[in-house]
Amino acid sequence: MTEVPKIVPNIVFDRLRAAPPDRAHPEADLLTPFTERTLSGTEREGVIEHLALCGECREVIALALPAADVAALADETAADRATSIPVRDGNGNERTWLTLAWPNLIWTNVWANLVRPRLGGPGLRWAALAAGVVVAASVLLMHPGKLNQVVLPSSNRQVATTSPMEQSASSTKADETQLKPETQLSQQHPPPRLQAGPQTGQIVMPRHQAASTMLLADNKKQSAQAGRPPAGVPTLDISTRGGANETVEVASGTPAVTTESSPQGTLMARSDAPAIEKAKPALQSQDTKASEAQPTSAQASEQQNSGTAVAPGLRLHADVISTAKLAPAASRALAQHNVIWTITGGVLQRSSDSGQSWQDALRPNHPLLCSASRDKDIWTGGQAGTLFHSGNGGVTWVQVRPSIKDQQLSSDITHIDLPDDAHSPDKIVVSTGSSEIWSSADGGTTWEKK
Amino acid sequence: MALYERSGAAAYGVSAERFAAILDEILRKYLYSSSTQHGSAQHDSVHSPAVSPEYKADFCSALRLEELALARACAAGNERAWQDFISRYRQKLHSMALHITRDGAHAAELADSLFADLYGVTAREGVRKSKLLSYTGRGSLEGWLRTVMAQEFVNRYRKQKRTVSLEEQTEEGIQFAAAAPEPASTSDPRLEAATDEALAELSAEDRLTLASYYLDGRTLAEIAGMLGLHESSVSRRLDRLATGLRKRILAGLRMQGMSHAQAAETLETDVRDIRLNLRSRLTQDSGTNTFPGSSKIPAQDSGDGRTD
Repeated sequence: MTEVPKIVPNIVFDRLRAAPPDRAHPEADLLTPFTERTLSGTEREGVIEHLALCGECREVIALALPAADVAALADETAADRATSIPVRDGNGNERTWLTLAWPNLIWTNVWANLVRPRLGGPGLRWAALAAGVVVAASVLLMHPGKLNQVVLPSSNRQVATTSPMEQSASSTKADETQLKPETQLSQQHPPPRLQAGPQTGQIVMPRHQAASTMLLADNKKQSAQAGRPPAGVPTLDISTRGGANETVEVASGTPAVTTESSPQGTLMARSDAPAIEKAKPALQSQDTKASEAQPTSAQASEQQNSGTAVAPGLRLHADVISTAKLAPAASRALAQHNVIWTITGGVLQRSSDSGQSWQDALRPNHPLLCSASRDKDIWTGGQAGTLFHSGNGGVTWVQVRPSIKDQQLSSDITHIDLPDDAHSPDKIVVSTGSSEIWSSADGGTTWEKK
Repeated sequence: MALYERSGAAAYGVSAERFAAILDEILRKYLYSSSTQHGSAQHDSVHSPAVSPEYKADFCSALRLEELALARACAAGNERAWQDFISRYRQKLHSMALHITRDGAHAAELADSLFADLYGVTAREGVRKSKLLSYTGRGSLEGWLRTVMAQEFVNRYRKQKRTVSLEEQTEEGIQFAAAAPEPASTSDPRLEAATDEALAELSAEDRLTLASYYLDGRTLAEIAGMLGLHESSVSRRLDRLATGLRKRILAGLRMQGMSHAQAAETLETDVRDIRLNLRSRLTQDSGTNTFPGSSKIPAQDSGDGRTD
């Protein structure tokens, strides 16, 4: 429950009321994008400045807000938060905390209301406790494997990228590159081992490992049959055709990740984005060999540009935009300086000279509508659920696709809030034009919708 | 041309030239206007990229082109456009009106009135003037309709307030919003000056938050919806503002010659007043709204426990 704000001195109350609006009311054409949080920069400030002084326009805004916008927030309670924690049971079905916990709640009530009053002395209580322990132990013995399963958090980063330097390194040392398993589950089913392919700059997944990913696919058989990834699972949906290779184009001029698929049948391979993220430090450690890698990388770029490097088959959306054109020195400088960000005409722009000059930083397919930054973390969102994140001051960008269960964020992202919360420093709250509030406490890995 | 195709304006009989003229008109309104009107992009034409061709292209591509084409085609009287508009928005208009007025009869009246304005029943110099002509595609058409309707509702109430007598309203059973509490009689102008200074140091968004919460009685959820923040963020912000304001006012009073004890005493007296005022105001406000049927929720309903 939100705390009640403190009271302000009476005089503040009076002086706020005493200030009359000094300008004409904004038109509906501006109030609308304001309520939809698509107004940015000077215009938004101007409207807010007016609203701070004009009670009538505040009334209009309050009335013009979609009902769900307020209701969704007002309904938030601690219980709601509890029920929205996504977890998976032993069968891989996503369930909420409350649905898993209800037997405990029932037991607690039964204990408090029925059992405890009837238990006379402490001896009987201990006996009941012992009986409970026996029951719990028997459950564990009957289902030994269930409790050891670790549920992966819902991850929505489809592909993690590497900086140009890292990509160069990965192209030369790709045969040594192995993604480190992160969780117990991923140890049981290690992520695909990436090996250097027949063409330089490509990383090929051998057949046996592609087959191993089938175990995961089998685990999610129903979802695979439905032709879409299971909810909340960080998947690269590599549905292959017979004999085709799957290719992940990371960025223009960067090495592609290719997997050799099983020639027959449908395969849902799974590549957990966190595991790829985990591999980044290992790639970075090979920076010393980056210079050696450059020619190879250049060759790969040439091959890709000429269309020979990309094997036929299903291509995945890279979801990654790397500022590969930036020189490494410029990239470092960009990451170090205080950069100002703004959205202009659907494009994210940055200025490193206090707004004297602006450069385009990100221009995705859909127009961007808002952005927010916190240190080197920059988030920007736009139409059709477009959401990008850079954790290194805009050097590289990763497209994030917030999703819960079967639902993916697809409406316009109109506002991004990075609350200053010491308990969850990576928290991000995303608001949409359709009055949805999506939040993530772990920097976009798992999401909740309110 | 790509924008024209994207808009689907051709389906409504809007030519490419006409559509280009519409876009040009919008660009002139927002990018080239140097007026101080709100929302006119007040870009410096020398330093800003606002008028570069790339900027113009980006600006146009960010518009709701399809809805813009529909609105302008309706304004031009295209029958197919009207059919589409009615099928898409007629029901929504009534829902919006009901949301705003919270009353079926008033909702129907408000929706029909707006619909007439959108169609343009009034003609100037023989030309039908549709309200849809003022839609520029900067937000969704649905959101624009909601805003226009809210404006109409507020204006209508303001007019009614002027023309309807007190007795008539009383007979109709309209409850009146409690009179705003009189400004506290602060005999010491130094307190006013210190407060003004402290408020002036706040950002506009902070002042908007304060005014919405303390003057309008908006709930945390409503303010959060308005600013696109999380409810807890608004609460923390209000908490921070209340604490900060108090410190700043105290500092301002001390700068003007008061001792720390004097400044604190002046402010404490004031705080006691506001607690009484707020309590009485919240009590009186329950069940009445500034605008009949408006979404202003009394504190005790909001669940945010706005009490002292």
